[in-house]
Amino acid sequence: MISILPTAFIFIAAALVLGLLPKGNVRGVILLITPILAAWQIWNLPAGIFAQVEFVGQTLDMMRVDKLSRIFGLIFCLAAFLGNLYAWHVRDFIQQIAALLYAGAAIGAVFAGDLITLFFYWEGTALASVFLIWARRTEGSYHTGMRYLIIQITSGVILLAGTALLYRETGSITFERMTLGSLGTWLIFLSFGIKCAFPLLHNWLQDSYPAATITGTVILSAFTTKLAVYALARGFAGTELLIYIGAVMTLFPIFFAEIENDLRRVLAYSLNNQLGFMVVGIGVGTEMAINGTASHAFAHILYKALLFMSVGAVMLRTGTSKASELGGLCRTMPRTAIFCLIGAASISAFPLFSGFVTKSLIMDETANQHYPIIWAILVFASAGVLSHSGIKIPYFTFFGHDSGLRPNEAPIHMQMAMGFTAFLCVFIGVYPEPLYALLPYEVVYRPYTMSHVIGQLQLLCFALLAFAVLMRRGIHPPEIRAVNLDVDWIYRRFIPKLYNIIYNSVVKVFIFIEAVIISVIQMTIKGLYKLHGPETGVSRMRGVGAMVMWVAILLGVALISSYF
Amino acid sequence: MDLNQSDKTNEFSQLGKTLCWFTKTENANKIFLGLALFCSALFLADFTYHKHGHFFIEEIPGFYAAYGFFMFTLLIMGAKALRFIIKRPENYYGDKSVDSEDYPADQLEQGSK
Repeated sequence: MISILPTAFIFIAAALVLGLLPKGNVRGVILLITPILAAWQIWNLPAGIFAQVEFVGQTLDMMRVDKLSRIFGLIFCLAAFLGNLYAWHVRDFIQQIAALLYAGAAIGAVFAGDLITLFFYWEGTALASVFLIWARRTEGSYHTGMRYLIIQITSGVILLAGTALLYRETGSITFERMTLGSLGTWLIFLSFGIKCAFPLLHNWLQDSYPAATITGTVILSAFTTKLAVYALARGFAGTELLIYIGAVMTLFPIFFAEIENDLRRVLAYSLNNQLGFMVVGIGVGTEMAINGTASHAFAHILYKALLFMSVGAVMLRTGTSKASELGGLCRTMPRTAIFCLIGAASISAFPLFSGFVTKSLIMDETANQHYPIIWAILVFASAGVLSHSGIKIPYFTFFGHDSGLRPNEAPIHMQMAMGFTAFLCVFIGVYPEPLYALLPYEVVYRPYTMSHVIGQLQLLCFALLAFAVLMRRGIHPPEIRAVNLDVDWIYRRFIPKLYNIIYNSVVKVFIFIEAVIISVIQMTIKGLYKLHGPETGVSRMRGVGAMVMWVAILLGVALISSYF
Repeated sequence: MDLNQSDKTNEFSQLGKTLCWFTKTENANKIFLGLALFCSALFLADFTYHKHGHFFIEEIPGFYAAYGFFMFTLLIMGAKALRFIIKRPENYYGDKSVDSEDYPADQLEQGSK
């Protein structure tokens, strides 16, 4: 019995209505109102399970509202609003529909109380989001979109397989906390891991996000991976394996981000690194750690969107997001530069910015639970974040060497979207209590202590000093036009090459076998010809007389032999 | 790209002119000096209060400073070494990737001062 309209349906309804409306600002208004309506609904819903429907003998819980799903639902609405405001100028119907359905599917998945509903929305996010990549309408984006879609759909198929196995095992499809053990739970874990960009499964993220449209990347950055973080927090909180997976995730992308030239790919690596912090929080699994993960996801969606927005605005004006082609844009895009710096300060977790009050929950709890090595890795990774997102993005775009480009400032609606997002980043940093109040568990934490503030400032400022020293000595690697290999090389180059090698070898073997058979047949024919050909004795023509003579001889022999 | 190469600062907005200060070569030393002074102050600040840490190492004065400085340097060196191994030309993946293609001009709103 459906008692309320599931929030996702608001987005689906809006997508249907959108097609009936005239092109232009009216559609833009719908794109802005829809997430506000959805947020209003989520805000006012009490905790509980709503909108249950019967489906092939199972009860599907389409709206499970609790504090964990609520905070993710709200931030997704906020991200959809900001993304759509940023994309106000876009008149591409496909992108508008994709943005609505993608946000709707992500919110639907967050409120899914069972694994079947989760699966439907899980695949929904994949199908809707790929159009934000294809909307670029180039050969490269088509191929990238296909790679993205294959991986995302595979994740969904694995989720379905895991659900089926789990159902056979437990007789339940409820989406609740699981323990790794059976094949079913491992498959579900793997499915979440693909979407969460676990190490070695991560490359779809860095491959696809830079290939999307300018506005598409901003929208993409918010949903898929944070949906996976939510799903892990819901299903696998306290799974120790996640601590180690998360630590690796914080670590390896910082090296790749450092040498990447495409700034949108730098941000994708950085996103991967930030997911690592959240995954560690889920692995630690205590109330404070889950609070840390949820709050960090909230803050992260905002500052990551802000960074993608500022690089996107630069791209809209200059046509490129390559660090080697940019530099010195603060002269004519000063507001975008300021917004970018706020995003950079937030992700680097400078005191008074959002990352500081959220990441420290995870880091402190990791230390509290006695994981010294993991803690040391996270501190190192924090310096790494400063390196690529805090310094590289703003420095090589807006400061640094003067590229000579003098583009216009970002359009006003983009400035509004960036300004509002930047405001939220600072607001959360200065006054975290409202965010803390939204978290799944009660927060007993003071981020602003003397030790913490000075310690963090020392870490960041001395890292900045190291950057300055390395730049002045010319040791810092320059930005150059190049691509860097990553794990995707395996399926983009190695496997196709291996396939070619195997294919060619098989063909060669067949050609050899064929040649052998043909030569054997030819030799047989030649041999037979030699024996029985017209020139040989066997087939020579002889006269009738000769035959008669031989018959006479034979008969003579027979006659003579009969006397003995 | 027909973007103007001129650098007439009076055409920039007030905010642009202000930010411009940071890009001038003659100010680089001032910025570096300022940063170095601020870092020294942060280091000295460690002696002025009682540190609370989860691990004993955190209570060593200047631990975060040293860790930040050295790990950052290590990161850059590591990344440089990594680049040596994994760097490939921009068109390595050819038309199967967006790396070497231009962003479609009809989706841009270019304009310059």
